Order: sequence, then structure tokens, then C-alpha cells
Amino acid sequence: MTLNFSLPHETIYAGAEVSQVIIPGEAGEYGVTVNHVPIISQLQPGVLQIIHEDGGGETEKYFVAGGYALTHENSVTDVTCPEAVKLDDIDPDAVSKNYDTAKTAHASAELGSLAQAEAQIEMETNKAMGAAIGLTLA
Amino acid sequence: MSTAKTASTFWRAAGMSYLQYLNKSASTVRMALKEPAKRKALTYEKFGYQKAVWKDGVQGEKVVVGIVQ
Repeated sequence: MTLNFSLPHETIYAGAEVSQVIIPGEAGEYGVTVNHVPIISQLQPGVLQIIHEDGGGETEKYFVAGGYALTHENSVTDVTCPEAVKLDDIDPDAVSKNYDTAKTAHASAELGSLAQAEAQIEMETNKAMGAAIGLTLA
Repeated sequence: MSTAKTASTFWRAAGMSYLQYLNKSASTVRMALKEPAKRKALTYEKFGYQKAVWKDGVQGEKVVVGIVQ
């Protein structure tokens, strides 16, 4: 199947032939292989896994901040995200610290305010990053 | 922009648009990176928009768009 994976500032894959892509959809994680039913899904912050055809089926992982994935009838999948990073580039200490800061901000913010919503986004994204690198944040 | 009476997500209820929500999520990811990836990623944080209206094949005045909703 063909994968197009792009960010606003960079195209990671254009027309790449891959074996499978595992996508962190909002409604749940799902895998796409050739002849998958066409689907459009919004992504949640999570890990995108690309299983390559050659190289012994090696899995490449990216943490994505959200975005959309579209799988077309011809087995072409487009994934677009505002940001995607390699798991190795994530700093566990920063994730932990930012999560705690966001949690405090969330607790002290006014219910339903913009500040609280922003704090919640930070909490959820940091929690997902933590999960991706093996950190459990509560 | 009016907010729906019953918003489906917490961020919509707080008055954020999907773009604002998405960019906040991307920003959160960038803040948790190691160097040198972080320094490079932070250059993608800032972006702006200009708007110009075309009339009769002529581009009008460019106006800076403050925020995209």
C-alpha cells in the first residue's frame, strides 16, 4: 500500500510503498493494509507506526500531535499532522514536568474557561507522550 | 464566531476552534523534546497569515490576519 505522510513544514513520505500503517484514530487505534476499506479518521495524540515492506518488516514509530488520516479506494493512505516526532526525541523529564504543571493549572483554572481547556490539552498530550515512551502519568 | 449550545468537545465548549486545539497539541509536543530537535521544532511555532482580495486580475492590499478560526 502507498503512504503519503506530511507535516506543514516537511513531507516525511510521498508515495512510499509500505506493508502496514497503524494509526492512532480518535475512535481507537487501527491498522491499514492493502485493500482496506476507505476511511477518514481524525487522529488523537498518539503513536503512528509504519511497517516497511523491506528491511525485514521493520517498524518505524512517530508520535503525532493529531491530524487526519484518509485511506482511499486504491490503497493510498494520506496522513497529515501538525507535528510528528521520533520517540527518541521526546524528553521524559520534560513530559513529566509539563504534565504536572498542566495538572496544577487545570485544577486552579475556572471551569469551562479557555485556560482550563488549554491545560487539559496539555495534560492529554503529555499523557499520550508519556504512554508512548513508557511513562505512566496520573 | 458563535459557540454551539451543546458542544461536542471540551475545547469547543471553551470557545476554541479545531485549528487552535490542534496547534496547542502540536505546541505541547514541541515543548517536550530533547535538544537539538527542540530548537528546530520551535522555529515552526510561529506562523502568520496575510489576506488579499483579487479584483479584475489585480491583487488588492495585503492585510495581516490576526488569528485563524
